[in-house]
Amino acid sequence: MNSTIYHNLLRFLGLVVFQGLVFKNIGENWDGFPYLHIFIYPVFLLLLPINIPSPLTLALGFLLGISVDFFYNTLGVHASASVCSAFLRPYVLRFLEPRNGYNINYSPTIARVGAGWFVRYASLLLTIHLFFYFSVEAFTFVYIADILLKTLVSFVISLVFVLIYQLIFNPLE
Amino acid sequence: MLQLLQLLLRFSGLFVFLLLELVCFSMVVKYNQRQSSVYLNTVNRFSGTIQEKTAAVYQYLQLYDENIRLARENARLLALVANTDKQGSPAEPDGISADSSLRRYQFQPAKVIRNSINQHHNYLILDKGLADGVVPHSGVVTDMGVVGIVRDVSEHYCVVMSLLHRQAKVSARIRDKGFFGPLTWRDTNPWLFTLDDIPKHAPVAKSDTIETSGYSSLFPPGLMIGVVDRLSMAPGSNFFNITVRSSLDMSNLQHVYIVKNLLAAEQDALERSAAKSDE
Repeated sequence: MNSTIYHNLLRFLGLVVFQGLVFKNIGENWDGFPYLHIFIYPVFLLLLPINIPSPLTLALGFLLGISVDFFYNTLGVHASASVCSAFLRPYVLRFLEPRNGYNINYSPTIARVGAGWFVRYASLLLTIHLFFYFSVEAFTFVYIADILLKTLVSFVISLVFVLIYQLIFNPLE
Repeated sequence: MLQLLQLLLRFSGLFVFLLLELVCFSMVVKYNQRQSSVYLNTVNRFSGTIQEKTAAVYQYLQLYDENIRLARENARLLALVANTDKQGSPAEPDGISADSSLRRYQFQPAKVIRNSINQHHNYLILDKGLADGVVPHSGVVTDMGVVGIVRDVSEHYCVVMSLLHRQAKVSARIRDKGFFGPLTWRDTNPWLFTLDDIPKHAPVAKSDTIETSGYSSLFPPGLMIGVVDRLSMAPGSNFFNITVRSSLDMSNLQHVYIVKNLLAAEQDALERSAAKSDE
């Protein structure tokens, strides 16, 4: 149990710092193509243990988003997207539940649940997260085409990085 | 009671979610400039009419005070007209008249339909918009002082960044002494402003009058802002710390004037090209 907390804390700090200092600068100043943004920090929400109580997930999502917001200087935008993802995570888990159920003591990592399942799981939550984020960023659905395009482009590149994260660390929890 | 508790427990996730999203969205609107513009414009469209009606009732109740104030302003304007007829414009020497300075500023009256003074970023909403020829980045004044700067304009309304806004900045000077600097609002008290960049050799005294400098294209020169309230100097500094007490009661605004500077485009273009050639 303690090692779970320790792993997640480390992951939280690492992802926030990496997102804020490295990935924030990629794609930020491409004048002709403002659609590409790399989101790595949702990995933290993806890899929380399955049996974690949902108010705690929400609180952690809020903390995660607000920390990233401090780097982006967009107080509340990342936080609202993270809270939304955290809220929908149990529903996505229930939707994708295998026939023989989960081993609820684990985190849903590739090592535990297999690559195919993980890609489906990560795709669903990342899409939700990105769509919510870009909607709040625009704050109006007048530019829905832009929002969808940003979601699509950023989703593809972010998913690649999420998988690379799994390949490098191959975490068990 | 027990059932209520059970209900709360059962949907605790949903409640926490809604609560946190509420917190997030209030932060988004409060601390992000673009989102707050969109929010204000939307609020405008939906509640503008309701607010206009409430404001109408409120204004009716305040008619007495308003009348006294308008009468006073009329008297002042009449005096001004009378003086101008006899002696010509006091600012210009005899025999010389720059024709462009004659009709440089136009004032368009507007009504305040929403106002706030207790935030860090305060806004007003006026009942004039695109249809009345209001453009963003115009000054807003009353006869008592400076109110703010127009930020967003919709068809029939406009949002004004109040002088009580952390990012508002007005170029001000000391009347009859000429020293000038930016005036900003850093206090939480809506009466107190800070004037910077006044060098320590300037002969400033308590209760000197502070007025607009006219160096920016937003406000005409010589418009009263307030009086020097406190005056100090940090050791080793070359500038005064000046606190200005406003002459305008921002909490009781109803009729304001939107300043239209007929030469603003020309002045701004010239300043921009000068700034560009410096780079």
